[in-house]
Amino acid sequence: MMTATVSRWARVRDSFLWYSFKRDKVAIASFIVLLAMVLSAIFAPLLAPTDPYDLALIDIMNSELPPVGMSGADGAFPLGTDAQGRDMLSTILYGTRVSLMIGFGAVILQAALGIMFGLLAGYLGGRVDAILMRIADVQLSFSTLMVAIIVGAVFKASFGSLMFGEIAIYMLIFIIGVAEWPQIARTVRASVLAEKKKEYVDAAKVMGFRTNRIMFRHILPNTLSPIFVIGTVQIANAIISEAALSFLGLGMPETQPSLGSLIKSGFDYIQSGSWWITLLPGLVLVVLVLVINLLGDWLRDVMNPRLYKG
Amino acid sequence: MALLEVKNLDVRFAVRGGDLTALRGISFSLDKGERLGLVGESGAGKSVAAFSILNLIAQPGYIAGGQILFEGKDLAAMSERELRKIRGNRIAMIFQDPMMTLNPVLTIGTQMVEAIKAHRRISTKDARAIAVDKLRKVQIPSPEKRLDQYPHELSGGMRQRVIIAIALLLDPEIIIADEPTTALDVTIQAEIMALLLDLCEQENVALMLITHDLGVVSQVSQRMLVMYSGRIIEQGPTREIINDAQHPYTQGLINALPQMGEPGARLFQIPGAMPSLKNVPSGCPFNPRCSFATDECRRTMPEYVRAGNVDVACYEVERLIAQEQQAREVTP
Amino acid sequence: MSASPLVDIRGLEKKFDLSGSLLEQVSFKNGRFQRKQEAVHAINGVNLQVFKGEALCVVGESGCGKSTVARTIMGLLSPTAGEVHYEGKRIDTLEGKALLPYRRKMQMIFQNPYASLNPRMTIQQTLEEPIHFHHPEWSKADVLNKVQEVMQSVGIDPDWGSRFGHEFSGGQRQRIAIARALAVDPEFIVADEPISALDVSIQAQVLNLMMDAQESRNLTYLFITHDLAVVEHFGTRVAVMYLGRVCELAPTKALFASPRHPYTQALLSAIPRLEDGRPNYIRLQGEVPTPVNLPSGCVFHGRCPYANDRCRQEIPELFATDDGGQVACHGVEEGRL
Repeated sequence: MMTATVSRWARVRDSFLWYSFKRDKVAIASFIVLLAMVLSAIFAPLLAPTDPYDLALIDIMNSELPPVGMSGADGAFPLGTDAQGRDMLSTILYGTRVSLMIGFGAVILQAALGIMFGLLAGYLGGRVDAILMRIADVQLSFSTLMVAIIVGAVFKASFGSLMFGEIAIYMLIFIIGVAEWPQIARTVRASVLAEKKKEYVDAAKVMGFRTNRIMFRHILPNTLSPIFVIGTVQIANAIISEAALSFLGLGMPETQPSLGSLIKSGFDYIQSGSWWITLLPGLVLVVLVLVINLLGDWLRDVMNPRLYKG
Repeated sequence: MALLEVKNLDVRFAVRGGDLTALRGISFSLDKGERLGLVGESGAGKSVAAFSILNLIAQPGYIAGGQILFEGKDLAAMSERELRKIRGNRIAMIFQDPMMTLNPVLTIGTQMVEAIKAHRRISTKDARAIAVDKLRKVQIPSPEKRLDQYPHELSGGMRQRVIIAIALLLDPEIIIADEPTTALDVTIQAEIMALLLDLCEQENVALMLITHDLGVVSQVSQRMLVMYSGRIIEQGPTREIINDAQHPYTQGLINALPQMGEPGARLFQIPGAMPSLKNVPSGCPFNPRCSFATDECRRTMPEYVRAGNVDVACYEVERLIAQEQQAREVTP
Repeated sequence: MSASPLVDIRGLEKKFDLSGSLLEQVSFKNGRFQRKQEAVHAINGVNLQVFKGEALCVVGESGCGKSTVARTIMGLLSPTAGEVHYEGKRIDTLEGKALLPYRRKMQMIFQNPYASLNPRMTIQQTLEEPIHFHHPEWSKADVLNKVQEVMQSVGIDPDWGSRFGHEFSGGQRQRIAIARALAVDPEFIVADEPISALDVSIQAQVLNLMMDAQESRNLTYLFITHDLAVVEHFGTRVAVMYLGRVCELAPTKALFASPRHPYTQALLSAIPRLEDGRPNYIRLQGEVPTPVNLPSGCVFHGRCPYANDRCRQEIPELFATDDGGQVACHGVEEGRL
């Protein structure tokens, strides 16, 4: 538009974020691993040798085959098979997909609730603030898992296992999202309290702008960087929560396994020597959560050194 | 021999994309009991200069060259251990924000006693006696009581007095004061400045006063340095510079003061702003804002020339002096 | 000055409650419950009139309430008592739509140029938003023209519109902040310490800019500052504040030539001047009392060398002096000073 306009890419290239990313080997490695996992999860239907959801493709005779390199392995199943004869590689790819979907979905819901309530509490203050933050306190005093177990059990009892299997993914997103919004709300509120004292907010008030406009157009964009940091860490937390719930049998059903339910399904066979059914998805889960947390730490250091992860 | 002599000091900051030069070729000296003013706008490098004397510049800054001779010994080459013996003891510092020096969770007495004991083998009782004595010197009412108070119980002016008392604790030879009154109100500022001045005179302490306020410098210092973009562009006796500044920047700085202008008329203004360290222009750093700038100014940094008792780094002044000399030669 | 004032502040008071909620106020002492309420008395009965075309400077040291006056006039704070009138209309009780025309007529310039621009908005956006908001009927081209015009008038290259605030120096940011205030064509500008965060050479630029704008746009200023040298240069009239009260109000020339109030005298003597070889000032006893427990009588009596019993008991009101100013001092009134 104008002569001095700098392209977006140039801005990114000159930014401190890009500079520190380039210099941080851990961040680069984490990002590459995460990107690889996300891409392979997205393209799981193309990459996976078989479709683990398709019962017609499963042969019970192939059950508990070990990964390639061990005696008795079958070349068609590079990572072996599980107790039902499903290909481990395919189930892990599909399982990562489910885990990531729940992680991202839950965090989007958390962020929506947290930003909304955090902004209102921080900007309006007074009674609104007191009420919202007390609700957040109450919410936080219940452990996520406890709420999820109760809600999950109720759902399962009232919908029946079959119906539950279909809505499980939405239910998990909903439970984890609702249970963890106070984390984000508190962070947002703290940054709103800091921002609203700044003079640009006064300037906006003096201009006569309405409260909504000031909150969303002026303050919100300035509170985004801590949300970004917390959000990243929360994705990892949500994936862990989902895995824990699935492991307890309250998460994803075995027909649509997530990493957590895969770990659980293999757990019964660990004594009989089929360790790969539990260990391989377990490893994937650990790596996934680790790289997200490492990226979150790096983001936190770059964006705001004073902030501590929720 | 001067008490403190800084020779050709270069300070750089190692940042991404190479080093930035924060100070270039800084040379000045401070005699015993002398009061020296360091003037400049923010970013001129005056605080860096003060901090580098005690080698206190924080990472990524470092001394890249030059000497800082204190009683003949080079502080720039000293080990951290040797430096610690000098810091606070022989050379004390006063900062702009008292809370930078005072620990909010310790009483004033504890902090003062600790400061003395760090340098002298002395009983707590004696140390307290010294502390009370110094607090009395800075005219703090009922000093014994103040020892047991916490910094937050004192007003801003009182805190700055405590800071001065702490600086005086070990009878230093030099006090470096970095904008000591900037955070204070005018009436308090006047009091603190007068106090600092009296104390330095009584105790024969040399004072290096860093400030952006020309009024304060003119009241307190005997000699002054004017800094611009990491260089000293003019130095000499304060009165001489204030009354007859040589460098166009110093002239502009003085003329830009509201008290120099006719009420209601436009003030003299220097166009533009000081360049950031990242893009210091070649030649004289002031050349883009200077109305006398020539190609020579844009090419090379001028050397110091002497005008009266003042050292100035400016080609225009050099030309004027040359013209004067010529005129004198023509009409003897 | 017989004309009716543009801005008229009557009996303005502002208290900031310190004691918190009811539960925090109650304490158990000496065997019974007590309810303790504390407040900071930031301004205590300020009357000021600003006339069209003038620059009224309000000076005082930190904590004297000068910024609170500014923020109360602009409606950023609501007064505890008193009224604010603009062109004869009471505006401190207005809300929402009714207030909008005054938002356009009254603008504010802030102290900290590093905090007064939204860091996530470009300069173009920062300037466009208020124009668009107050003139929704304007076309995009009109808005753009206006932005270009104000940017030019404050000496900022209109080509820099796509940059963000942090890409500018302090002085340039303050110019942009002034441009934002000017963008809605105000009549009256409250400037709260607009140059104290800037360097000397930049201060001169910004002061000149404000004086240019005053001339070309026929602006009226309420200029809040602690710097008396600036006041002498810039102000038409000066109000000196101490502990939430106006203690002297006079035309600038008269005030600097013959300050009447003992506090004004001390304040003037404390300005470090280039001519002085030594700090040379009237020493005041003690320190400014906290605005939580105001002294009885004249707020200045504890530090005043001339205070007597009347000063300790009776609050002095402003009265007109022969040189066109007003002073709140019993000593001056009685002819003691």
